[in-house]
Amino acid sequence: MPPFFQFLIRRFLAIPISLLVITLIIYGGVVLVTPPDVRASIYMPETNAHLTEEQIQRQINLVIERYHLNEPFPVQYVYWVASLLRGDWGYSPSLNGNVLPALLQRTPATAELALYSALLFIPLGLLAGVMAGWHQRGILDGLFRSLAFFSTSMPTFILALILISFFYIGLGWFAPERISLSFSIHLTPENFTSYTGMYTIDGLLNGRLDLVADAFRHLAMPVFTLSLYHWATLGRIARAAMIAERRRDYIIAARARGIRENSLIWRHAFYNMIAPSFTSLVLSAASLVTGVFVVEIIFRYNGVSDIIVRSMQGIPDAAAALGFTIYSVIVVLLLMFGLDVLQAIFDPRVRDEVLRS
Amino acid sequence: MRNLRRFFSRWQNWLGLLLVLSFALVAILAPLISPADPKSPGPFQRYPGFRITDRAPKSPDLAPPLGTLPGNLNVFHALVWGTRDALLFGLQVSLSTAIFGVLFGAGAAYTGGWINSFLMRIADAFLSFPTIAGIVLVNQLWLSVITNAGGVLYQGEWLTEPDQSARFVIWLIEHIDPLLLTLILFSWMPYARITNIIVTTLKETEFIQAARALGTSPARIIFRHLIPNAISPAFVLAARDVGGMVILQATFTFIGLGGTSIWGTMLVNGRDWVIGPDGGILRYWWVFLPATLTLVLFGIGWNLLGDGLSELFDPRSAQ
Repeated sequence: MPPFFQFLIRRFLAIPISLLVITLIIYGGVVLVTPPDVRASIYMPETNAHLTEEQIQRQINLVIERYHLNEPFPVQYVYWVASLLRGDWGYSPSLNGNVLPALLQRTPATAELALYSALLFIPLGLLAGVMAGWHQRGILDGLFRSLAFFSTSMPTFILALILISFFYIGLGWFAPERISLSFSIHLTPENFTSYTGMYTIDGLLNGRLDLVADAFRHLAMPVFTLSLYHWATLGRIARAAMIAERRRDYIIAARARGIRENSLIWRHAFYNMIAPSFTSLVLSAASLVTGVFVVEIIFRYNGVSDIIVRSMQGIPDAAAALGFTIYSVIVVLLLMFGLDVLQAIFDPRVRDEVLRS
Repeated sequence: MRNLRRFFSRWQNWLGLLLVLSFALVAILAPLISPADPKSPGPFQRYPGFRITDRAPKSPDLAPPLGTLPGNLNVFHALVWGTRDALLFGLQVSLSTAIFGVLFGAGAAYTGGWINSFLMRIADAFLSFPTIAGIVLVNQLWLSVITNAGGVLYQGEWLTEPDQSARFVIWLIEHIDPLLLTLILFSWMPYARITNIIVTTLKETEFIQAARALGTSPARIIFRHLIPNAISPAFVLAARDVGGMVILQATFTFIGLGGTSIWGTMLVNGRDWVIGPDGGILRYWWVFLPATLTLVLFGIGWNLLGDGLSELFDPRSAQ
């Protein structure tokens, strides 16, 4: 088997292991602070408002017995994981529905936002880092550094506040939320087929360019807010990597051979600095995901974060909280996997390191 | 000494130190700078002399020194007392995470073997845990702890039964901040990882081997020899974290996911006035600019101090 596939498999198998550790920790926390009859709310079916207190108590007892909530931790844990694997993530009173379908239904919206900002900040961040690093201490470098400093010290929510005030309330160019009401109320399964759940792509596939334009009008501010910070961080790291790369012997040798500057940057140094630039992205994958949700909430962009906004409104809703937690951990793990694979494509040493351990 | 001289030769380090020290000074002297009003205690002081029904923000001319937020809340007072609050929060979080993370990382590395791999595996698992999921989960657990202790949530306010449990419930609500807990729980991993790496290499060096051969106890080796030699990156991380955590707290307060940041609350309060009723973004500048600037300067100050410290400890990174 080629080493790359070995790496792929080895790296992929690390995901369930991490997931096991995390679910153990989460469930441990839950068991530590809640008594069985509160824990039963994770599994409680849709509650009927007409039930008497006695009937509810009987329901709770049934759940406790069915999922062995009175037994030792390992037994409970196994039952919980089994129900998760069955896709039975519990009923959430604040969502008025089951948690897993609710999460999956909102995923395309979040994916759309994350995708566009990744498409924006990764190439631009690398570009800025390459140019600033190559021309270290030049005008471009100084410009980039002050811009990056500004972008990283500006808290996202304040940037969002200013953007909303300027471009939505003031100028009316862009808008928060996901799509204008005038569009969303006319969308029916008859006139609009949902292929991916992303309005920009579905709009194109349905030939509704006005809808695409409207979706972008709503995406502009959250995508910009999300990208700016990560653009600056990635750019800084790429810059440092480029500065290190620029002094290497092979670059000096290539330059001595008379290779043109542009080819020196993009054909020689660039490929070698990509992997180190991504290392820190892997480590901050969790904060990337947090950032996406925070920006969603600020712009009232109805993605997955909608669930936590609703579940934080005071009604105890353990099912939604647990479901969201596990969902976002899975997202982070997949993101880390993807970034690791990307890194290994550009730098075989990353691959070898995983294979050796 | 040479490092110290280099530290003070860069204006960025001076600026960082100056900002941090002035925030500390304001935090310590808060009661002198902006005395509390017994009629309206707490960081959000009602500005006297305006009718309660008159909710529009007052300009600094009408209500010196910095005007009022909607609802006639004194901006300056909230800024000053918010500094104390923010500094306390940031230091609490970053010191607790630093201490726990360093001990965890050093302990794991010193033990070595499969225990080390297992413990670092746990640290890695925590690394894939987004803070926002942490706060949602901890908030939910906290809710159920209080409910268990006898608290009842009624329209956003906690009520208690008038019995023994009441005291415990009140103690829980007053002394435990779920956001603080979450940030401590989910941000110690970088400290553990970096300390772990350093201690793992340090453990094999001759002076540690010598100490071990002399029969020094493991605790003494860890605390006397390993940690002092491995702690400088943790200091740098901690300095940057103070600013970062305060900004995170303000962010969570702003989006309504818990947290009691005063600066964040000020911005929530003033968010509808960034562009006033008559248009013009700077018409009501005192509603959002002071809080924004303070928050940004706070973050910049600690970040610069962190950069400076990292040069101080590791001159090679300076270049």
